[in-house]
Amino acid sequence: YLNSYMHKAWLGPSSLCCRTPGAPVSAAGLRFVSDAAPEDNRSPIIESTEEYKYVERLIPSSRIPTPPKHTGPTPSGWIPPADSPPSLPYMIRRSRMHNIPIYTDVTNSNRKLTLIRKVEGDIWALEKDVRQYLQEVTGKELPTQVNEVTMTLKVKGHFDKELKDWLVSKGF
Amino acid sequence: CNPKNLPRITLANLRPEPGARQTEKRRGRGQYGGNRSGRGHKGERQRGNRPRLGFEGGQTPFYLAIPKYGFNEGHSRRPQYHPLTLKRLQYLIDLGRVDPTQPIDLTQLVNARGVTIQPLKRDYGVQLVDEGAEIFAAKINIEVQRATEGAIAAIERNGGVITTSFYDPISLDILIKPVPFFVRGQPIPKRMLPGENMLPYYTSADNRGYLADPDKIQQARLALAQKYGYILPDISKDELYHMLAMRKDIRQIFFGLSPGWVVNMPEKKILKPTDEKLLKYYSS
Repeated sequence: YLNSYMHKAWLGPSSLCCRTPGAPVSAAGLRFVSDAAPEDNRSPIIESTEEYKYVERLIPSSRIPTPPKHTGPTPSGWIPPADSPPSLPYMIRRSRMHNIPIYTDVTNSNRKLTLIRKVEGDIWALEKDVRQYLQEVTGKELPTQVNEVTMTLKVKGHFDKELKDWLVSKGF
Repeated sequence: CNPKNLPRITLANLRPEPGARQTEKRRGRGQYGGNRSGRGHKGERQRGNRPRLGFEGGQTPFYLAIPKYGFNEGHSRRPQYHPLTLKRLQYLIDLGRVDPTQPIDLTQLVNARGVTIQPLKRDYGVQLVDEGAEIFAAKINIEVQRATEGAIAAIERNGGVITTSFYDPISLDILIKPVPFFVRGQPIPKRMLPGENMLPYYTSADNRGYLADPDKIQQARLALAQKYGYILPDISKDELYHMLAMRKDIRQIFFGLSPGWVVNMPEKKILKPTDEKLLKYYSS
């Protein structure tokens, strides 16, 4: 693609003239002469399959790719899960996008909540550990709510950063 | 305590959590709350006939005294650029959603679901913001629509290449969603050049515009390295130099596909015109 970038000279209103070649008969039907026999009077169209690989690069993938192997934390702050799950009575899976499933919520602009999803195993042990950890960090007894049906844990207040670092240090 | 042996739940046993229910305000009760019931003494205040918000007793109110000026005039028609932080770009590269060994284009970013562009809302593309400049550590060939100086410096410091290019709304729509466009069966159109107001931006080397002179861009790279205080790494000695030097043609929308071609997806073929008038038009 050798270019001299000298396009400024003729930079007028570059209007697209109506381009009908190769397309079927247009709705207006003005050019009935040219659309009668598209192949006969004109030069033939070349078909090629060489450049199709560029088209394949443009197709979006429908699956989420697995992240490549990193040893330790990445520059952006994402830490991959440990190779073997930690030996604790509970397990917290990663989300679809390989992140820790801790989310914050705000209702009525003053009620703050931290939600831990995707818990498996003994939730009550996790709740005890979370309460103890937050007691050390903040020094307050925070109310928590366990939902055994959906296997989630809610904690009053915004603690997503601290809890994420804590879970990552455990190896989840 | 076994739930089976507890006394049965009745209205006498139920009580809300302390602090869950707030008692409502009842006006006009008590020795001090009664009498005027918190309304004041006579006048519009007590009678509930105060004028509208902003009224200043007849003096020209503030919101009418200040003259109008078109600060926000035409705000809905201004071009918008979705911001992309370097931190988010690094996150996408780390998770393998964006491939740093290929030139990064707006199509690649949208396929990785890193950004969402709405061309119908006057979005003209993506702008690189230098929020995660300290963390950024990836050598990439990236093409965006706008970029801040700090972002350009961060990318070039790591040995990458950045270009700013212009896409008119139709080309942008095709760029974001290539597959529905190929399904339509129309030939790939040529990308239009920027209008008068955006031409200075894309012809200046400081913004790494795609219409700028390559020599001036090299000078600007050196100047920026001096300004930000890093040594500009030499790309020509790099093994990925061929990939880093890949740039699109001025009229090209996709890498590798020229305007005028029709893509046949079910049969995996590309149809190219040979008529000289068409070739002249599409290569102009």
